[in-house]
Amino acid sequence: MSSAQEINASLKSLIQEFEEILDQASSLQEVEEARVAFLGRKGRLAGIMSKLPGLDPHDRPQAGRTANQVKSELNRLLEDKKKVLETKSRSVQDTGFDPSLPGRIPDVGSLHPVTRVVQDICNIFVGLGFDIVTGPEVETDFYNFEALNLPPGHPARDMQDTLYITESLVLRTHTSPLQIRTMEKRSPPLAAIAPGKVYRRDSDLTHTPMFHQIEGFLVDTRVSMADLRGTLTAFAQRIFDPGVKIRFRPSFFPFTEPSAEVDISCVMCQGRGRVHDGTACRVCKETGWVEVLGCGMIDPEVFLQVGYDPEEYTGFAFGLGVERVAMLKYGINDLRMFFENDLKFLNQFIQAGHR
Amino acid sequence: MLLSLSWLREFVPYDGQVDELAHRLTMVGLEVEEIVRPFSHLSSLVVGRVMEKKPHPEADNLSLCTVDVGGSECLSIVCGAPNVARGQHVAVALEGAELPGGQVIRRTRIRGEDSQGMICSEAELELGQDAAWIMVLENDSEPGASLIRALNLEEYVLNIGVTPNRPDCLSVFGLAREVSAIFGLPLQKPSLNLQEDGFTDFSSEVQVVIDDPAGCPLYQARLISGCTVKPSPGWMRYRLLAAGVRPINNIVDVTNYIMLELGHPLHAFDRRLLEGAKIRVARAEEGYRFTPLDNQERGLNARDLLIWDENKPIALAGVMGGANTEINNESTEVLLECAVFDPLSIRQTARRLGLHSESSFRFERGVDQLGAPFSLDRAAQLMGELGSGRVARGVARSEPRPYSPVQVMFRRSRANSLLALDVDREYCSRLFSSLGCQVGEEEGDGFKVTVPSYRPDLSREVDLIEEIGRIYGLDRTPEHLPRVQKSLHQEEQNQEYEFCSRIKAWAAGLGLQEVINYSFVGMADLDLLGLPQEGRVRVFNPLSEDQDVMRLHLIPGLLYALRQNLGKGNTRLRLFETARSFKEDKNLETGVRENNRLALLLYGSRYRMHWPYTEADADFYDLKGLVEHLLQVFADDPGKFAEHNEHPYLNPCASCSIQGRHLGFLGRVRREIAVTCKARKDIWFADLDLDALHVVFSSVQPRFQPLPRYPVVKRDMTLAAPLNLGYASVLEIVHSARVPILEDAALVDIYYPQDRQEKKLTLRLTYRHPERTLQDREVDAEQQRLADLLQKKLPVGFP
Repeated sequence: MSSAQEINASLKSLIQEFEEILDQASSLQEVEEARVAFLGRKGRLAGIMSKLPGLDPHDRPQAGRTANQVKSELNRLLEDKKKVLETKSRSVQDTGFDPSLPGRIPDVGSLHPVTRVVQDICNIFVGLGFDIVTGPEVETDFYNFEALNLPPGHPARDMQDTLYITESLVLRTHTSPLQIRTMEKRSPPLAAIAPGKVYRRDSDLTHTPMFHQIEGFLVDTRVSMADLRGTLTAFAQRIFDPGVKIRFRPSFFPFTEPSAEVDISCVMCQGRGRVHDGTACRVCKETGWVEVLGCGMIDPEVFLQVGYDPEEYTGFAFGLGVERVAMLKYGINDLRMFFENDLKFLNQFIQAGHR
Repeated sequence: MLLSLSWLREFVPYDGQVDELAHRLTMVGLEVEEIVRPFSHLSSLVVGRVMEKKPHPEADNLSLCTVDVGGSECLSIVCGAPNVARGQHVAVALEGAELPGGQVIRRTRIRGEDSQGMICSEAELELGQDAAWIMVLENDSEPGASLIRALNLEEYVLNIGVTPNRPDCLSVFGLAREVSAIFGLPLQKPSLNLQEDGFTDFSSEVQVVIDDPAGCPLYQARLISGCTVKPSPGWMRYRLLAAGVRPINNIVDVTNYIMLELGHPLHAFDRRLLEGAKIRVARAEEGYRFTPLDNQERGLNARDLLIWDENKPIALAGVMGGANTEINNESTEVLLECAVFDPLSIRQTARRLGLHSESSFRFERGVDQLGAPFSLDRAAQLMGELGSGRVARGVARSEPRPYSPVQVMFRRSRANSLLALDVDREYCSRLFSSLGCQVGEEEGDGFKVTVPSYRPDLSREVDLIEEIGRIYGLDRTPEHLPRVQKSLHQEEQNQEYEFCSRIKAWAAGLGLQEVINYSFVGMADLDLLGLPQEGRVRVFNPLSEDQDVMRLHLIPGLLYALRQNLGKGNTRLRLFETARSFKEDKNLETGVRENNRLALLLYGSRYRMHWPYTEADADFYDLKGLVEHLLQVFADDPGKFAEHNEHPYLNPCASCSIQGRHLGFLGRVRREIAVTCKARKDIWFADLDLDALHVVFSSVQPRFQPLPRYPVVKRDMTLAAPLNLGYASVLEIVHSARVPILEDAALVDIYYPQDRQEKKLTLRLTYRHPERTLQDREVDAEQQRLADLLQKKLPVGFP
């Protein structure tokens, strides 16, 4: 029968022995072997503890406490050693870690600059309360011309070189037919914009036979020129920058009266006509102004075409060229690039979000 | 319209800056596109005085001249013109000067004699046609002075874009009226001091008969006899040149001069080439042939209006005179026409014949009928003066449709509300008067306005309101944001734009790049793709053969983009386009079905070509993956894909459908087509119907399902199948078994044994019971039932 002192001594020596063995261990495998030898079911600690019941009942509680303390001390040593080894092994595994190597970047897509500008413009007008409408690109002569106060033989038809499908069908030359289609379908008050492709029989440095327009119109009682001017000023300041100035020049469109062309102060030279190095600005040809859209108060003839009473209703309409705006906004100097779809061009428009 | 500033100043005393004038004209709707100095190309020339002239010792036809050009020493210049003479003032190009033709003058030796410059002819200076003789100047200019100053050619010309509604501004005097109104300056009418001559009245000599009063409301003619045809004097030629009109002779030049000055086109006939004593205005007949002044015979139809003498047509009314009665160097008797023609008729003829002249341009827009007699008289007077002729007494004329004045009611309240202004009666009345209108007595808050005959664009109240805005300055009117009102019960909203925007965002988000291509392609492109002839929408007047038909499918544009990029060394493409296809459909209003479509194109490497990606080219499953992703995102539906063997340009090819709607096709572009794009690798392409997808998209609404509370049991099942057995048929059987606790079946592996006699498919089946934890044995039973069913229905085994 072992005495309490003997048991106590062997328990204490366990700690020292275990420490020595762990010191020697260089792998988790060896640590595990040590654990089994000391802390396993048939290990040394279990062997010592199996002798406890033989002790004098008076000594038993003290010995039991000591045994438990030793056990937790052994476990602590074991975990510490494991941690040391694991850290060591991880750093061996991770020697190739290099955060400067490229990651698996998913492909980066892009929207065509025309789409970006269309979306920017539509967002501005939707914010002002306009709906978005669309319509056919192959259009009847009626919607493209006649209903817009451009009867056959009207000299203003020469303002737009038309691509015909048949004698009475055209590729729409502007998005203005959407004024008619929308007014026919709905009743005032209404406010809408119509983005889309339009076509002209014209191809040179500054014209492509297909391009994009956005038509906007608002019809209500007592709509005035001030509403039109305010709307377009707000638009120009939001799409370009808040400091941009706009200028209304009287002009002529058969479907508006009064009509105006709208110029903005040149975004390249800030309206100075000369760029920073003093040379002539080629964008505005030194005038300080660039034309961006045509607009006016809807002509009473147009209202009659859709059965609105021109004494009761007034309205405004405008049409702007998307490519023109995109060229000014992004500083693109060649219209034809829009339809060549060179990746080196498209890649310049990957940045998300709008100004 | 080219407006010469000095000409303008004959009628209105504007003495401000040319830039200010240009700005103000622009701001009243007469856009000055350019300010040019038409004779600036002559700025390096000087006046010289021929001090001495000797024959050239080595050449009979050359002279040696000593010319004073204002310097300390005279120049010696060799001259070949026969008219050079001592004492003449001449135009000299000094060494280094550049002539309009681009020739730079150098000091040279001509047959052994020094020549230190050049004495110029009018042709060399592009001031006239005379090339053989030198130009001789008036003797009052100082040697050495600038030539253009000496000739009074230091001129500004404004190039004005006149809108089609303003025919009155297609003349110097018309623009003077505007300038007078803008600046409040007095207007001076061109002078008229016509001296008629002779005893017999010309109106009794020639009778005017108008068969078509609607086509010709007024025809009038005068006779100028005893004329001498010769070049016009310099002042007139220079004015015409500055206005972009080529001088011809004193008779024709007067017609052009008056047209430019007063806006009314005129025509001069050689009276002696006219037969009989009658001028008739009547339509042509179908198939009639006529040769105008340009000497190109043209076929006419019954809608073309002609001027006839007793026997033959002599002019295409308002468009161009006939070659048969043209003024020539021997003409002495001139019949001068000043008429009014129906704009529409002139326009139709000019357009159909492709014969656009300064004359037809003005008649198409409308000329001033009340002003016509003045134009005729002023032209006759000038022609008499310049041609040393006599203007015969009287005018041969017929006016079946006299001009009737137009009166328009104007309400100030209406103008103020439309323009957001507050202008008073006095202001409006003064403004209209300055524009040549007559203002009537006050009626209500407005008055009646009688508009001038030269303003056909003012026929309604709103036209007058525009004048208020135009002259007041649209740019000075107030501005504010509108209060946008909508009907409470909104009509059906158009969602096409919004849906396409979502699709674009999806595609860009997946790393695809958007392209935009023309909607038209060439017939040959469609033929190459093997697309059917029927249904194509052809462009009637295309710009070129490769743009003569609308896109039936989107593919030609994307192949074009691919070809362009390959040519520029971009060898990896992931493109998308949303655009419409066009197909004939007689049942629709426009006869064309426009279908929004989405095209996807993958070419080259699947991944970016850098570490840690591995190199491999995109394949069918990359493309299909995109399409499946689209269907999941927009329809929450995996869609159905089936092999399709008859596609015109895709092979292999799969059709894609969703909820019973056909969406389109995806596959590899056939090799013979791919090579036309210089593509060395496979082109993977999909073309899908966005309108159909939109319908499904609109019908899908997420519905919340309670989250499952019990765990799943996953079991794998490997089956050996023949190589040609489609995976879809396996899935179909699994689903047809209707195992209620089967939540999902997914393919996790395909293994092809070395002998490649069969393939091994491993499915992962997921089971779950909504209300309790599943027992192993019930899952075993269902798994077995599925296996049995598969074995019964399909040629599969379980290894």
